[in-house]
Amino acid sequence: MIRAITEAVWDEIARPAGVSRQKKDAIFELACRVSAIAERSRASGGVSVAKDAADERRKLLRFGLELLVEGADATQIDFAFRHSPITLELDAGTKLELAAVRAGLIAMVEGKHPAFVLRRMTAFLGPEYFEKANDWLLERTKKRKRRSQSLLVPGDLPDLVRSLALDPRSLERTIRSAGRALSVAALAGCAQESVDLVAGFYGPIGAAAFEDDADFQRGKLSGDEIGQAQNAFAEVVKNLEAEGELELGPEDEFASDPAFIHELTRAVMALDERTLRTVFKEGDSRILALAMQGLEPRAHERILGLLGNRISHRLLDAVDDAAILPRRDVLLAGKTLAEAVLANAALRKSEPNEALTSFERVRDWAVSAPLPAP
Amino acid sequence: MINWNAELAKRLSCGEDERRGLGPLIRRFIDLARKARKEGFLSLEAEAAQTEDPLLKVGLRLVAEGVSGDDLEDILATYLLANDEKGWPFLRSCVTVEGLVSLAAGDENPILIRKLVAYYGADRALSLLQELEGQAS
Repeated sequence: MIRAITEAVWDEIARPAGVSRQKKDAIFELACRVSAIAERSRASGGVSVAKDAADERRKLLRFGLELLVEGADATQIDFAFRHSPITLELDAGTKLELAAVRAGLIAMVEGKHPAFVLRRMTAFLGPEYFEKANDWLLERTKKRKRRSQSLLVPGDLPDLVRSLALDPRSLERTIRSAGRALSVAALAGCAQESVDLVAGFYGPIGAAAFEDDADFQRGKLSGDEIGQAQNAFAEVVKNLEAEGELELGPEDEFASDPAFIHELTRAVMALDERTLRTVFKEGDSRILALAMQGLEPRAHERILGLLGNRISHRLLDAVDDAAILPRRDVLLAGKTLAEAVLANAALRKSEPNEALTSFERVRDWAVSAPLPAP
Repeated sequence: MINWNAELAKRLSCGEDERRGLGPLIRRFIDLARKARKEGFLSLEAEAAQTEDPLLKVGLRLVAEGVSGDDLEDILATYLLANDEKGWPFLRSCVTVEGLVSLAAGDENPILIRKLVAYYGADRALSLLQELEGQAS
């Protein structure tokens, strides 16, 4: 039986029935504000809450934020909201606001993701506010900046994640079995590539939340704690494999082929501006985005520098949407790009040159070639 | 341990005919779990778009988004309790929440079924369990 239902205090439950639309809209706005406060609090290590409390005009929220500033934990917030004189003798709308604020602040003090804080608070308003919350979260997700990584815990987990990702269902199954908290803690010590492979299972809001949580835990957990989480995660994989639930693929499938990347980058750097611009303007964004996984950053800069804002944004969106591919798929996308360049050159009867020779080598690259020994 | 109380027992109480509706609901969860395992959890968004039940719709969206465990339980229980249902609608919502939490955890079908048939009552759970396990295998 669901714990939150068996523990419910029935005569204290706040319900949206009978509360005006205007009041519910106001509570929704309040929930968005608390979610934004939670985001700032996570980014500042809690320092920003004092300013948010001072700026807050709603009495209930300010009361709760002041408790946070004083260092209250989840139990103390719960107690204070249930017993303070400020919360007595309330009308239905204020009672609903109080329940939502209490739940949001408890989620916040427990270090939950701001998206969860919003979902938790807007649940009090009923399912009709779910879509509105979704739209708000999607907007926030678009504006969010990726953070750099500082703590990487050496170990085998990135290789394990790569080999699991060869069959996406295997990786997803492992993440679900391990649970979100353990998966986040384990991946907090991995490079962005591993986090990206997992985040791809969740859609834009869930993916952003997973990345943010991995980043948040990276700053909170010690190297030892992350190492323990990685061991526990590896144990889950071992158990699933023993039960016949998973089959691990060869580990090098996601490793890049440095010789191919070097050749494709050299070709792009040597190609004349006009051809490069034409191919990237007229080509399929998705294929080009995949091919860009086989290019060094200097080639990315050259391509994006030649394209206008609109096309650059289209391409960058496609790059963001593209999954991290096995080596074979990156090779195939690079070969498709080479074919497009060579077809364009043939049409214009271009003289052979260093760039075209390089693109011919890319076009003829053996897809099944094994990686050179390190 | 279940913290049982009179109010909860009263709300869960419903007629035998209504309770039979649990079979199709549990079968739905078996199908959803199978689909998620085969096509990925994001495929549940398409299922959500087709469902009429607001609680199941919201729950499937949250599961696809990656919310699970206590977090999912807290959100879904808030929706459920805020709705003030009694009898069969309340029982159906409880099973829906339990099914969604189990689905999000990636439980195998035998576990999922065992969690949900418990709502059928001890006397009838065994026969439903045998029937559903036969269909799920």
